[in-house]
Amino acid sequence: MRKLLKLFTSFGCALAVAAHAKEVRLLNVSYDPTRELYQEYNTAFAQYWKTKTGDDVVVSQSHGGSGKQAQGVINGLEADVVTLALAYDIDAISQQAKLLPADWQKRFPNNSTPYTSTIVFLVRKGNPKQIKDWDDVVKKGVTVVVANPKTSGGARWAYLAAYAYALETYGHDDAQARDFITRLYKNVPVLDSGARGSTVTFAQRGIGDVLLAWENEAHLALKEFGDDKFDIVTPPLSILAEPPVAVVDKNAKRHGTTEVAKAYLDYLYSDAGQEIAAKNFYRPRNETIAAKYAGNFTRLKLVTVDDEFGGWSKAQKTHFADGGVFDQIFQPQN
Amino acid sequence: MPTEIIGGKTKNEKMKLNRIIVAAILGAQFASAAFAADDTATNSATDIEALKQQIQDLDQKVRILERERENDQDAAAATAKTVPRITLGENGFGFSSADTNFAVAIHGQIQADSRTFSHDDDIAGNSSILLRRVRPIISGTVYRDFDFLFVPEFANGTPGAASAATTPSIYDAYVNYRYSPAIQVQAGKFKGPIGLEYLQNDAYTFFNERSIATDLIPGRDLGFELHGDLFGGVLSYAAGIFNGVGDGQKNSSNIGFQDNREFDGRLFVQPFKTTSIAALQHLGVGVGGSWGDSSITNTLGLPNTTGGSQPGFYTDGQQQFFAYTNSVVAGRTHWRLSPQASYFYGPFGLLGEYVISDQNVQNGTHSADLQNTAWEISGGWVLTGEDTTYTGVTPRYPFDPRNGHWGALQIVARYSELDVDKAAFPLFANPAVSASAAQEWSVGLNWYLNRNIRVNASYAHTTFTGGGAGTGASALSAPGAVTTHPEEVFFTRVQLAF
Repeated sequence: MRKLLKLFTSFGCALAVAAHAKEVRLLNVSYDPTRELYQEYNTAFAQYWKTKTGDDVVVSQSHGGSGKQAQGVINGLEADVVTLALAYDIDAISQQAKLLPADWQKRFPNNSTPYTSTIVFLVRKGNPKQIKDWDDVVKKGVTVVVANPKTSGGARWAYLAAYAYALETYGHDDAQARDFITRLYKNVPVLDSGARGSTVTFAQRGIGDVLLAWENEAHLALKEFGDDKFDIVTPPLSILAEPPVAVVDKNAKRHGTTEVAKAYLDYLYSDAGQEIAAKNFYRPRNETIAAKYAGNFTRLKLVTVDDEFGGWSKAQKTHFADGGVFDQIFQPQN
Repeated sequence: MPTEIIGGKTKNEKMKLNRIIVAAILGAQFASAAFAADDTATNSATDIEALKQQIQDLDQKVRILERERENDQDAAAATAKTVPRITLGENGFGFSSADTNFAVAIHGQIQADSRTFSHDDDIAGNSSILLRRVRPIISGTVYRDFDFLFVPEFANGTPGAASAATTPSIYDAYVNYRYSPAIQVQAGKFKGPIGLEYLQNDAYTFFNERSIATDLIPGRDLGFELHGDLFGGVLSYAAGIFNGVGDGQKNSSNIGFQDNREFDGRLFVQPFKTTSIAALQHLGVGVGGSWGDSSITNTLGLPNTTGGSQPGFYTDGQQQFFAYTNSVVAGRTHWRLSPQASYFYGPFGLLGEYVISDQNVQNGTHSADLQNTAWEISGGWVLTGEDTTYTGVTPRYPFDPRNGHWGALQIVARYSELDVDKAAFPLFANPAVSASAAQEWSVGLNWYLNRNIRVNASYAHTTFTGGGAGTGASALSAPGAVTTHPEEVFFTRVQLAF
């Protein structure tokens, strides 16, 4: 009789939970190469949230060049969270659309950057042009594929990585660095709007000798197209790319998703979230997980935007704003 | 900087194409030179390497040009997604935001009619050429889920009002929230969900005028309605609360005239709609109804009783054949029930409807629940083979005599009856002038020149039971003058609807 009573009680509780369960929908507006990362992460988070609260969460993803994605949110794309390529793009959402406060980066650990990455070279198998460092990229006769830094976060990181190399190499002589970056972009025949487009240009369309790629994107290309076609070359020096995340407060509040949106980003810092990031070739912040996946990542000298360029705002204004250095040095080849 | 277009290609594209051609010619020249040299001397390994390099360079250039073109197309497609759209066609003029979340469409309807009566003892003013409907129609959507419709009427060719002033009035003005096809909420002024024939768009009815069965259906009213389509349209439902109007009347003041409300509802099922049985897909049966309780009596809930050109129960020719006596008012309950069915298969279409209208009336100390009934059956056959549907006929080939196309031709026929409760006489209606029943049959020909233009011609014959024996003034005006003889009327219509 007691067993029967327990059974009924359990059944009743289950029914009550089921009746109370709800479905929550989130929109994660992200940059180009994070498709695979967030596909896996969303599944894991949905399971975690279901176990924790009983609610179903369905996360939709939107991907594109980081700058374009930020502009999309500013123009009304109803993102609950943004996971973009660089802080400047989220700053733009904060400043132009006032959808989140200016100090958004203080809300999560590590300046709201749960994982990092860097820029590496993806070259054709056997590295026929012998591209090993940034100096090789600017050589005459080398064709370089990279996205448009005006629209792509990854391309801005790549530009700054090259510029930082030149500054380090030429004793912080800006004129020489500018000459270096000019030579680099003379080798770029086509600018895609996003990092994924550049990968397509290089890997699928067979254009160029080297792709300046996100580290994770380069690994993905090997996985996708076969490691018999390409090699990854990690230069001795590159940039510490810090793709940040944020809850878009006003959207989330309007959708009633603030709690789950915050939990969604918090979970990126959990062991499970960090493991997924590492497996997808993003460098985890968690040292234990980073050690576990150390084999995935070549050690190199990483410079920061803050140290080399005085922060993102200054870098953006100097290099990527209309009339900035990039506009001055880049001449379309056709 | 504007892009120059030359021969369907941009200047840049032309230049790129030229470059490819030049490169190809150069490549060919290198190759032919190399082969020519082969006749006289052995090629050096350097030459071959140079040629290989040349080909690789050309290959890269072509790939780059192709990729740029691809990127240009992607950019153009992305831009197109943000550009508002403008449409102009048989469904009217419209414009919408790129994501279609905001849209406005302008439609219109013009009906130029003629009615020619015969054997009516020369009732003055009934034979006429008239504008039956003149309606600019604005519909649209805001924020994806909110639809609206605004329909003013400029013709004022309402039943019995052929000679009335053409004061513009609002016919439809509502906002509809569409949560899903199954759950929608509508508020404003629109047709209540009861009569099958009445709910059909004015532009698509078989005849110029709806049958006398629709005399017992309330006209447009103000209210709120929950409605939707379930199971892919197999089941349609609607339920609403309205101010309440009398049979055959519409709310013309855009306000309520009593404190109490009327509840309208309708269920319509098309059980085979989603099956593969083509012959039964458009078979539908349903029932509509209303219920209202007037705790106080009012004079506006009944067909007006002053006769002549004022509203009442009407014939096809829009002449009043029944009127309550002037002192009669509506009281307490009024309910209606209308079982209905429709069937469309290929060129054949059929509509049928039965209506009971149970109205409590009072005349001084006398009170009665009068149960008036009516029914109709109407059908059409498209001789040129196109489909007959609830939403009209679309000619396979629009009217274009220069190319031997004449549009679509449809023959139509109808029979309908209306019976007034016998208890209405003599306490609530004068049996000497008002008919206790009317029977009507009609035949007609509809010519659909295209989706927008239709030309109709029809003949209607209505006989009456009772009435027609008035004396003095009552014998000279409706309903007495109308019920004296059977009504014979020839209709024509030229209609523009888009």
